Amino acid sequence: MGLSEHIVMRELDIPDIADFEVYRRHGGWEAYRYALTEKTPADIVQMVKESGLRGRGGAGFPTGIKWGFLPKGVYPRYLLCNCDESEPGTFNNHQIIDKNPHQLIEGVALSAYAIEANVAYIYMRGEFAAAARTLERAIAQAYAAGFLGKKILGTDFDLDIYVHRGAGAYICGEETALMESLEGKIGQPRLKPPFPAVAGLYGKPTIINNVETLANVPRIVEKGVAWYRSHGTEKSPGTKCFSLSGHVNRPGNYELPFGVPLRELIESPEYGGGMKGGRPVKIIIPGGASAPWLTAEHLDVPLDYESVAAAGSMLGSGAVIVLNDTVSAPHVAYKMDEFFKHESCGKCTPCREGTHWLVRVLHRMVEEGHATTADIDTLHSIYRQMAGNCFCLLGESAVMPIKSALQLFPHEFEALVKQSSHRNGHHIPLMAHR
Amino acid sequence: MTLLEIHQAEIEAIIARYASKRSAVLPLLYLAQDTYGYLTDDAIREVAAILALPATDVFEVVGFYTLFYNRPVGTWVLQVCDDVPCCYCGAEELIAALKQTLGISEDETTSDGMFTLQRVKCLAACDRAPVLQANLDYVYDVTPDRVQMLLNDLRARAAEARKRGVSGRFAEDYEFTRDGRLVQIERFSPYRPREFVIEPPAAPASPPSSVAPEADAGLDRSDTRKASPL
Ligand SMILES: Cc1cc2nc3c(=O)[nH]c(=O)nc-3n(C[C@H](O)[C@H](O)[C@H](O)COP(=O)(O)O)c2cc1C
Ligand code: SF4
Ligand code: FES
Repeated sequence: MGLSEHIVMRELDIPDIADFEVYRRHGGWEAYRYALTEKTPADIVQMVKESGLRGRGGAGFPTGIKWGFLPKGVYPRYLLCNCDESEPGTFNNHQIIDKNPHQLIEGVALSAYAIEANVAYIYMRGEFAAAARTLERAIAQAYAAGFLGKKILGTDFDLDIYVHRGAGAYICGEETALMESLEGKIGQPRLKPPFPAVAGLYGKPTIINNVETLANVPRIVEKGVAWYRSHGTEKSPGTKCFSLSGHVNRPGNYELPFGVPLRELIESPEYGGGMKGGRPVKIIIPGGASAPWLTAEHLDVPLDYESVAAAGSMLGSGAVIVLNDTVSAPHVAYKMDEFFKHESCGKCTPCREGTHWLVRVLHRMVEEGHATTADIDTLHSIYRQMAGNCFCLLGESAVMPIKSALQLFPHEFEALVKQSSHRNGHHIPLMAHR
Repeated sequence: MTLLEIHQAEIEAIIARYASKRSAVLPLLYLAQDTYGYLTDDAIREVAAILALPATDVFEVVGFYTLFYNRPVGTWVLQVCDDVPCCYCGAEELIAALKQTLGISEDETTSDGMFTLQRVKCLAACDRAPVLQANLDYVYDVTPDRVQMLLNDLRARAAEARKRGVSGRFAEDYEFTRDGRLVQIERFSPYRPREFVIEPPAAPASPPSSVAPEADAGLDRSDTRKASPL
């Protein structure tokens, strides 16, 4: 797929595309101007529905259908753009904004017009301070050019876009926790229903979408549904910016049509360039930390929502982490669950306590070298108590690394027990802190 | 002077962005932290008073979010990502090198108050491992052999900021260009006190000798990997 076919990461090779004038010269903001002056909001919603665009934030929910959930005639409405991007392995939102902030802003503006929102917030993780600055600058340029503000382009449409920075909390990427955070509270998820489309930010109808999702919208409006659907698969149309990382020769973001085989992403000289040092693939985590693991036998799985699910995992955020045979599966599970423990918001017991105990037991086994057979049963028992019982998907996700490791590499846990058996027989301290 | 006196216009502009005043709590805490260096109890109460919130609510917020510091921290807070995949791509070696060079452990500050070292979770730059943030500025591909150069560079930026009467916390406003000049970067965030934005230096400050801009391409803060086709 040539550069010209990129939908989201279009024109990233053009110097200074982050500048308003340059973006404009390359056809930027045209889709928005066209929509405002020639199309009704309902037309745009219909177009996005027909395009089959699916949310890139993890769940793959069809965007147009989500927009259709807004209750008729209830205002104000809000549009939120989710740029919390904190899941290990995910880094495409970051690059989209750094390189081409106007495409996102145009996408946000177009989508706000479609759902009839007059205020949109872009919620960015606190660490994206520089990217927030880039966006603020681009937004100021868009105001100056009359694309944002009051009575835009002589129409009756008013729109304000604000950047709001979080302050270090992965859970704020969960849509309702994000709303709590934006309301100035600690980021703990809300009970659903009511769903955000009905009662979201400040209790008003709210649509929340990922950065990559919204960055698709200008091209759909500009080039049309048929063109868009000519990319990707029937059920997963378009392209995906895969964030490839780990032990590959060329980690980075690669925008490819849905359905490209995992092997091509990892091995093609244009993309991953194969494994570093030619070592074998051991663990593939295809959709960010929350996705069940795959192994080398899954290299021919096509990367679209349905195929990855059929292989027993999920495409999630499209963050593909590839690890070679030098890593220990229990250690990977330990590090991943340490992430979830660190980020657990503490609202519900299965997640708060479950992640805590997973990490304590794994730390003792992996880092301190004390492992017993009973520990393996304990690990199984902890994740079983968590699965299905957590308040939000963070806790459910924390089950995946340990469950995958135990299922795919049971012998590595047994080996840990064997290695430490000579130390058994005396008191094994549980680490006292962390 | 109180926070409100120093930053009245900016605080009002921030509050005006939201339908509820309370939404301004994170931006105002950033403002307070940047002004005072860290969030003292008094600073937290000040933010609560501005937003007419119970102080306990704001203390709770400060405790929840990891980027708010309620203890003194160094001029530079070095946040090194030790998550998967970084931890398998050199992060542990980087942390070891930093600990050794700085003579401190995680969550400690050097005795000169210059550096605080922290381990953090994924920074969304996994393709550039090992990666760290110095006061939220990304530094990519920091292999252990570049640690000394990084620290020298950060010290020089802090010194430049101090020379201009700016609290050391704003050292991130200064950076080295590719050809080794130390310049002030444009500030474009509503969360930063505009009072601290000062005229860029008329004559370029000379780079410290340890930064060799040509020999090594220098520390990489550019936003994408050059090899990437994107
Ligand atoms: C713990 C957790 C973290 C999440 N983090 C993010 C995130 O960083 N970015 C994101 O777009 N969606 C994230 N999501 C998904 C959002 O809740 C939401 O589904 C998404 O923003 C919807 O956008 P989309 O329809 O465009 O995918 C997260 C979900 C959970 C449960
Ligand atoms: S599952 Fe975890 S993150 Fe989600 S509400 Fe419960 S404690 Fe919070
Ligand atoms: S794991 Fe280190 S930046 Fe993502």
